[in-house]
Amino acid sequence: MYLTKEEERIYNGELGWAKQVCMKILVKLGDLFGAERLIPIGSAHVSGVSYKTLGEAPIDFLEALASANEKTMVEATLNPQSLDPEYLRKRLPKQLLERQLDILRSFEKMGFKQTYTCTPYYIRETEKNSHLAWAESSAVVYANSVLGAWTNREGGPSALAAAIIGKTPDCGMHKAVNRKPNILVQVEEAPKSEIEYGALGIFLGKVLEDKIPLIKGLKNPTAEDLKQLGAALGSAGMVNMFHYKEDETKTEGLEKFTVEPKNITETIVELSTAESPSKPDLVFVGCPHCSLSEIRKIANVVYGKKIRDNIDFWVCTSRHIKERAKGYVHKIEASGAKVITDTCAVVTWTDKLGIKTIMTNSAKTAHYAPTLNKANTILAPLEECLKTALKE
Amino acid sequence: MKMTGQITLKGRGIVEGSCKAEALVSTKPISFLGDIDPKTGKVIGKNLDIYGECITDKVLCFPHGHGSTVGSYVLYALAKNKLAPKAIVNEKADPVIVVGAVIANIPMIDKIDIGSIKTGEIVEIDAYKGIIKILEKKEV
Repeated sequence: MYLTKEEERIYNGELGWAKQVCMKILVKLGDLFGAERLIPIGSAHVSGVSYKTLGEAPIDFLEALASANEKTMVEATLNPQSLDPEYLRKRLPKQLLERQLDILRSFEKMGFKQTYTCTPYYIRETEKNSHLAWAESSAVVYANSVLGAWTNREGGPSALAAAIIGKTPDCGMHKAVNRKPNILVQVEEAPKSEIEYGALGIFLGKVLEDKIPLIKGLKNPTAEDLKQLGAALGSAGMVNMFHYKEDETKTEGLEKFTVEPKNITETIVELSTAESPSKPDLVFVGCPHCSLSEIRKIANVVYGKKIRDNIDFWVCTSRHIKERAKGYVHKIEASGAKVITDTCAVVTWTDKLGIKTIMTNSAKTAHYAPTLNKANTILAPLEECLKTALKE
Repeated sequence: MKMTGQITLKGRGIVEGSCKAEALVSTKPISFLGDIDPKTGKVIGKNLDIYGECITDKVLCFPHGHGSTVGSYVLYALAKNKLAPKAIVNEKADPVIVVGAVIANIPMIDKIDIGSIKTGEIVEIDAYKGIIKILEKKEV
């Protein structure tokens, strides 16, 4: 890999251990994937923030970096943590909060923005064709496919290193040649709800491995539908990008794959592990974190109603969106539901709250909850989730 | 068991360094998050053929890593607790292990046929050149 003089000095440790270790991460990964140089990035988004998913292992490393007084060189945002400031903090053991705060302090000291969201793209629009170093697979797929930005699927440590150096190796999704579709997916029947988009993503994620599909047959998907599709693709497989605009690219010579309606209905059945009929302990909406328009939609349905006794109803979003949606938030919380920021059901300890069955409109959550939350799942569209959560 | 002569395998150097230690060979991929206990250096992944072994101060040989990128931090935690392997030898380097070896400063090479190394053999690693020497070849 070619390094500039300045990069070489950092690599050789002339600017200290922390910068050196970050530069080494980028250079070694670049060598591994055939990059010839480092390129500047517009922003970094770092995953591996929740103490629940991280455990103890990274705390020392993060503290070492932070105490070396390293600062982020670009706008750097953080993925969700394990607790929210108001509600879950009070309901979960104090030592969990303390360890979580240790992690957050290190990130804060390094200059990371305290966004704690998996949807950094709602906070600041990314520029089209800009190069990013984002971790969090759902945001990576969304950035590449919907926003037209360019990012590899970074891991927590490599996104962190990119934030400190302000650069990323020029390889993979940063090369135009690697962003072209290499399989044509024909969806026989267009998905009709967000859970059908999610189920399509889970189904395709498992069969496509790391291919880039051109998906044909979607009918006027909303940005939220595409968010569900991308989140599911990212969690069930290694897909980093999809194309979905009919006229976008030539399809001649592409391998073809057909999705039948039964593939989607069967996937929905597989993703619902709870025995039917069963009552959820938690109805959870906001994976990935809710957009302003999703919050508005929920507010308009729940306003003036009350949620059932013995049921939790969480609407998860970012601090940023909650702040912008104050009026809607008030309407939602008046029903007894909670608008929770900074975290979500998957990265907090729902099992410690006694939650055994989670109802959600997110295929990604339904995919992860049986293992990460030790919970059964019911995958259903938003309307049905709201109907279940609300009193008659 | 008889001992035969020395064998040299040439791969690719990933993280610089050199050492001489006993090999511990897993035929299966390792996810450091979940498979290795950072507090003891013991292998806790029950599906691994080296389950129950300790990786500390060994030359740890396995095909490649898999699983969460938090695994990189587990290697750092092992090093900080002085429980890290002396070196890592892979068939195919992957980002989780490469980043882990970088931040934990563990010499690492790849493009080595793991099948030609046996647990208990004394090996010498030169990760500058990407070489592993099996000093005492075991044959059962």
